[in-house]
Amino acid sequence: MATSNMKILCSTLSRLRVDYIPIRQNAFYKPPKYRPPHWFVPKERVMSEDFLTQENRDFIEEIIQDKRNSQIALESPLAHADQQTIEWNPFTRRVGLIARKIGNYPLWSKEGKKYQTTLLQVVDNHVIKYVPPEQFNPMKTTKVQWKEKKTLGCLLVGSETVDPSTVTKEYSGIFNSVGMLPKRHLFRFMVSPHAALPTGTPLFATHFRVGDHIDVRAKTMDRGFQGVMKRWGFSGMPASHGVTKTHRRPGNIGGGGEKARVWPGTKMPGHMGNRWRTLRGVKILRINTKYNILWTLGVAIPGETGAVCYLYDTILPLKKLKTAPPFPTHPASDDLPLEYYDESIHPFEGETILFDEV
Amino acid sequence: MALAIRKSTFSVLATARCIVPREFRSLSSLPETNEDVAQDVAKRSTGRRIRFQNPALEYRHVYPEFLPDPNPKWRNTLREKMERADMLKRRSQIDIPEFYVGSILAVVISDPHAQGKTNRFVGICIERKGCGLRAEFTLRNVVDHQGVEIRYDLYDPTIQSIQIIRLEKRLDDKLFYLRDALPEYSTFSFDMDPEILPEGTPVPVNPVQVKLKPKPWLERWERQELKGVANIEEHLKENDRVRRELRKTPWEKYDLMKQYRKTIPAEDQNEIWGEVHNQLNQLKLSRKKMFKKRPVTTPKTQLA
Repeated sequence: MATSNMKILCSTLSRLRVDYIPIRQNAFYKPPKYRPPHWFVPKERVMSEDFLTQENRDFIEEIIQDKRNSQIALESPLAHADQQTIEWNPFTRRVGLIARKIGNYPLWSKEGKKYQTTLLQVVDNHVIKYVPPEQFNPMKTTKVQWKEKKTLGCLLVGSETVDPSTVTKEYSGIFNSVGMLPKRHLFRFMVSPHAALPTGTPLFATHFRVGDHIDVRAKTMDRGFQGVMKRWGFSGMPASHGVTKTHRRPGNIGGGGEKARVWPGTKMPGHMGNRWRTLRGVKILRINTKYNILWTLGVAIPGETGAVCYLYDTILPLKKLKTAPPFPTHPASDDLPLEYYDESIHPFEGETILFDEV
Repeated sequence: MALAIRKSTFSVLATARCIVPREFRSLSSLPETNEDVAQDVAKRSTGRRIRFQNPALEYRHVYPEFLPDPNPKWRNTLREKMERADMLKRRSQIDIPEFYVGSILAVVISDPHAQGKTNRFVGICIERKGCGLRAEFTLRNVVDHQGVEIRYDLYDPTIQSIQIIRLEKRLDDKLFYLRDALPEYSTFSFDMDPEILPEGTPVPVNPVQVKLKPKPWLERWERQELKGVANIEEHLKENDRVRRELRKTPWEKYDLMKQYRKTIPAEDQNEIWGEVHNQLNQLKLSRKKMFKKRPVTTPKTQLA
């Protein structure tokens, strides 16, 4: 009896396997809230001295040059796609552009009026990747999510090709996986699924037309810690008449009684600038197709000269696109005119403006 | 202005030597003095070769607006290039002559509100400023005992013509003191005949010194070290003289970095002038052809 029992025990013990290891879990555990998109990887590399010989250096340089040349020679994937099948409608969202602000100068209208303009250069923009709406799963934020967003895909656009040896391996990998060279700026545009573009499509300034209105998103000039006079435009206090030590101070910041505290949102000194701001409804007055420059009306585009800004079709209801723009984008072509002018703008090579006597 | 230009002649260096301490001479980016201008002019008239070698020497005075603003925050090579191309396009439509502060000009513009839709104004150029397409100049005249100043954009397409009535320079870079001077110094009749200098003559400097009206003035002219004002001491009180002494900044002419920051380096200038040289030359030649048949009159040095 005892031996048979022993046998059973031995056989069960021998059959025992360690397959399932339960992990003790906190019932209140939640995954971390901040889940950055996969293209948010460190970009800057710590440059180190590699002690390469001159020959090796030349070799690397040669390879980079070869890659660059092959990318320049790359044909736009749009050349073969038939564009008649897809059509633009007013609810479509097209891709935007990444541009650089390069300065301001005046243009004159045909009535002889002077307009200050800002020049935006579209440098070397390429579509990197498209993430369809089903796969695009952005991080949860406390902000109200637009329902529309779930129907939109995500299009990654890069601008300004850089030397691959100057960025990290991870960052370079994003581009390498789709056969592109790394770009200095990588940005996400939410687009309608039928406005998606294949990888490697170059984007030009002709994506927009003259006379259209765009929204420009950029970082404002960093002004550092500023007082209320500069930050909020308070008028300060008199310079004399017995005023001491309160010439640029805000004065009273709250009342007494029930509200005897500083109310949230009170305008106070603090850091000014270096924020993302969108200027909406900026008119395009002129386009240069050779250097891909847009002349936009006004000087209010955020950021200093050389700042990077993102251009979208405007969402302002009265300035929205009314006719079909180049859709999904303007294809590369060599036979474009060098300059497009808005009909209100006087080209510099035009005749002197004369007014007819009525 | 900068080293490469200065190096070209020994005589210019010699003037620099007396101002600049020896150790800083290699960095030299001196301001323009009247002597320099005179020497440049002398050089221009001596021979063709020098002019050909360094067009920057000539062009930076004749076309100052082609040089960009030296503030590095606003510089951008591509924008400057586009701007210069636009300026040349405009210059191909209208003849913008060489003129200086102190020259007398007649400007005709299209004006929708004027009778006949054009407006002609004659006056002395009291200021010239701005870079690129922002370049502007101000004309001053006294019409019916009322001082009138009009600011024109040099590249405004409504300007129909800019005519030089008298090409000359004054002793100062800005002539704002004409506002406080006696009106006869800024009164010019609208039917003045243009005086055309014989070819190759250097631009004459008018050494006239104006007389100011008594105070109150618009600015403190006594602090600005003006050369073109005759009677400034008459109107000063003791306190004004004391304050003028206190406000003097005699060290600024030794501040080489300040001068350097205010100017475009010679290397950049060579690039810019190299780009626009051909087209400017062509415009110049076409202008010469047009004006060859005009009569030649000698310049008069007279009071305003």
